Amino acid sequence: MLKMNNNNTQPLEYSTEQGRMNILGFWIFIGAEIMLFGTLFASYFTLETRTGSGPAGAEIFELPPVLAETLLLLTSSFIIGLGIHAMRLGRKKAMMTFFIITLILGAAFLGFEIYEFIHYVHEGASLQTSAFTSILLTTLGTHGLHVTFGLAWGIVILIQVIKRGLTPQTANKSFIFSLYWHFLDVVWIFIFSFIYLKGMM
Amino acid sequence: MDFFERFLIPHPSPIIYASMAAIVLTTIAIIVGLTYFKKWGYLWREWLTTVDHKKIGIMYLISALLMLFRGGVDAIMMRAQTSMPENTLLDAQHYNEIFSTHGVVMIFFMAMGFIIALMNFVIPLQIGARDVAYPRLNAVSFWLYFMGAMLFNLSFVIGGSPSSGWTSYFPLAGSELSPSVGTNYYMLALQISGLGTLMTGINFIVTILKMRAPGMTLMKMPMFTWSGLITNIIIVFAFPVLTVALAMGTMDRLFGTNFFTTTDGGMDMLWANLFWVWGHPEVYILILPAFGIYSEVISTFAKRNLYGYNSMVASMVVISLLSFVVWVHHFFTMGQGAMVNSIFSITTMAIAIPTGIKIFNWLLTLWKGKIVFTVPMLYSLAFIPIFTIGGVTGVMLGMSAADYQYHNTMFLVAHFHLVIIPGVVFAMLAGLTYWWPKMFGFMLNERIGKWAFSFISIGTCVAFFPMFISGLDGQARRMYTYSESTGFGIWNMISFIGAIGLAIGFILIVYNIYYSTRYASRDVGDDPWDARSLEWATHNPVPEYNFAITPHVNSSQALWDSKKNGHTLFRDGLKEIHMPNNSGVPFVMSVFFFIFGFSFIFSMWITVIASLIGIFACMLHRSFENDHGHHISVEEIKRTESEVRGAKNE
Amino acid sequence: MKELFPAKHVMGFIFSLVLTGVALSVYFFDMSFFMGMTILLVTAFAQAALQLVLFMHAGESEDKNTIYTSVYYGIIIAVITVLGTMLAMIWGYV
Repeated sequence: MLKMNNNNTQPLEYSTEQGRMNILGFWIFIGAEIMLFGTLFASYFTLETRTGSGPAGAEIFELPPVLAETLLLLTSSFIIGLGIHAMRLGRKKAMMTFFIITLILGAAFLGFEIYEFIHYVHEGASLQTSAFTSILLTTLGTHGLHVTFGLAWGIVILIQVIKRGLTPQTANKSFIFSLYWHFLDVVWIFIFSFIYLKGMM
Repeated sequence: MDFFERFLIPHPSPIIYASMAAIVLTTIAIIVGLTYFKKWGYLWREWLTTVDHKKIGIMYLISALLMLFRGGVDAIMMRAQTSMPENTLLDAQHYNEIFSTHGVVMIFFMAMGFIIALMNFVIPLQIGARDVAYPRLNAVSFWLYFMGAMLFNLSFVIGGSPSSGWTSYFPLAGSELSPSVGTNYYMLALQISGLGTLMTGINFIVTILKMRAPGMTLMKMPMFTWSGLITNIIIVFAFPVLTVALAMGTMDRLFGTNFFTTTDGGMDMLWANLFWVWGHPEVYILILPAFGIYSEVISTFAKRNLYGYNSMVASMVVISLLSFVVWVHHFFTMGQGAMVNSIFSITTMAIAIPTGIKIFNWLLTLWKGKIVFTVPMLYSLAFIPIFTIGGVTGVMLGMSAADYQYHNTMFLVAHFHLVIIPGVVFAMLAGLTYWWPKMFGFMLNERIGKWAFSFISIGTCVAFFPMFISGLDGQARRMYTYSESTGFGIWNMISFIGAIGLAIGFILIVYNIYYSTRYASRDVGDDPWDARSLEWATHNPVPEYNFAITPHVNSSQALWDSKKNGHTLFRDGLKEIHMPNNSGVPFVMSVFFFIFGFSFIFSMWITVIASLIGIFACMLHRSFENDHGHHISVEEIKRTESEVRGAKNE
Repeated sequence: MKELFPAKHVMGFIFSLVLTGVALSVYFFDMSFFMGMTILLVTAFAQAALQLVLFMHAGESEDKNTIYTSVYYGIIIAVITVLGTMLAMIWGYV
């Protein structure tokens, strides 16, 4: 258990015992997040056809903004992967550049999502319209809130990397943030496949 | 004045006014007392800002005991109201509020608080760790739980209690049929304390997996630690479901969404479904730590190794998976077809197999053991038959075809009380008595303890067995009264007498704590029960750093081996010890959460936003803070070790 | 510059774009519900696995068994919850 203490071949983010525990703890948190979104999906599938007097999914979904959101998030997930790679090479500038691009892509994603929500409300599909619109907007909104929180979190970490450089602590935080960001991409893939594409099929 | 009208109680009564006065007086007494004895600084430094798992455990314990009495008073009032036909002690609304708060308080704030109290105190000691993996997060967990509990209890005097049952089924819990803020309290208070519980879950999984003493492989962990690991795994995967369900319920009530409504496509059954997807694993979250306690207590006082260690572990792993696939048995009568009900009937009955294995393991541990009848052992011995009766009636309820007869009757009430009281409450009382000397450095009086045990175990049987009969006769649960011609009167009167017995038992426990604090000997040594696991290898009471030297372990009975088989626990010399620093941020953050919850309940959006900003500011502060803890020097350790009462050298 | 773009990551990204393209086929081509759902399920879980192993480095640390157990456990329970809910609320509801 303790044999890897002070092992120099490990990346910086794994170099302290607390760091290794933080990474493991975050993975377990991701397990809980899987269950959180699983519950939202269970509710979505249950309420999907219960549209009351409001529109159904196929009537309000539009492919172009959804596709744009998907590509933005996929790319940002790739870019933050490059950021972690650069961090492991010790290239702080490159890492920060990749992180900044990630956050910009994330912000663009949010922009499209906000446009999408406005569009839905214009089409008569607000939060209160029907069980379907309630669960649709709540599921998308939960993911959107995660992205929003991620943007703020990413900025805080960037500031710390600028101020303190790549220390075991900042590297650990950056790595954990990258896990969070990749996970949001995975969730979006499921939203894209089983809410949008299934709805438009 | 309009602003303040929302805080009024919709159905006031003398009891509520008396409680208001009592709360105000108690608060004043506490403030005056703290000021007079100049204890504010002590309270802040030693308790409110602590990150020590032992102190957090004790704070959980105190909160859980307080909640036990709040829930207990509810229970007595319920039994008193139904003890006679056509009784008018309580009206229908008050009865509804009381059975709702009884359930919520007992499950969320008493039972959960109690198991987390014992896990907090015992698990790091049992695995030979200095603290948990994230001490700061542990403090956040506790304060969120505490603030959730306080928020919920506030409903009694500000705005009105929830009255739609502890399950809060929609559409009854919707804003149309429950217009008072009571159900908002339910949603927000549980949300806040649930967040705390989720963090506890993550914290303890990492602690158990990463911080064990050298030599302690997974299969050499004490059984209580194993049960804690499995429990926390269930917590991590079950609580997000509750989070989502509560959020949807809150939105239905406050933002006009249509998840659980009866119009615009809403589906009230979905609430019941989601509630029980969380709710059934919750049952096992409560029972598994209890199983762990019984394993420790039975093997200690039968003076034998636990029988069937591997099968104990395997059965808990199986339970952790099965607990997630049985939830539909809570609503067999809701209208699913025979196929669905049959599937969930079978999974439900399957869970009796691993539970049965555990029962046999305990019996076989007792077999040929040299049994010592201490108070913890008495609770464990009484648990086996009573729990088995409760469990077997559960299998009866699990048969979906027969369930149509039992559903929502007092038979069900008898079943789950006879599972949860011997299963959880007895275990907590056994654990409390067993670990009390480790927590406070003296033992609880055995004679008073045995009296309390007698009242509680007999009281449980007298209170709940009659409900099987009245339930089969057709008495529905949650009915505030019934007519004389039903013939339920006699059974309910017997129940009431049993409830009084239980109350006497709990009062005796409080008296025991008072009596033992005053008179018990402080010279009890480090290992008063002649126990087997690591927590007894350190001093009484435990120093801040737990173990001066990290122990080496070669079996699940490390201390026993060192006592009887010549195993050396402490091999290394003293080294500097690294400990986490105290922090006031978890407390402050939880106060913001309290304000957030309270404002949300009353739809006061400005304070909601302000408190959210406060919460994020606390998180930001934590992120930028450079806190590397502090070190305890070897000289200081030596000094502490020689000062500790009953100190002994290896 | 080249060392900043490891081939494994770039290939992974291209593969995830391809998977997205395949998933889009359910929109552009006429097919049965069963066929469409099969494609979506395969592509979505493949994407998730790709992210997990390649980008999230799930298998690199000493705790990889715990990490995989936690993720698998979460997925299994989540799938059971989704299917069980559908079973009780829709498919098996009479």
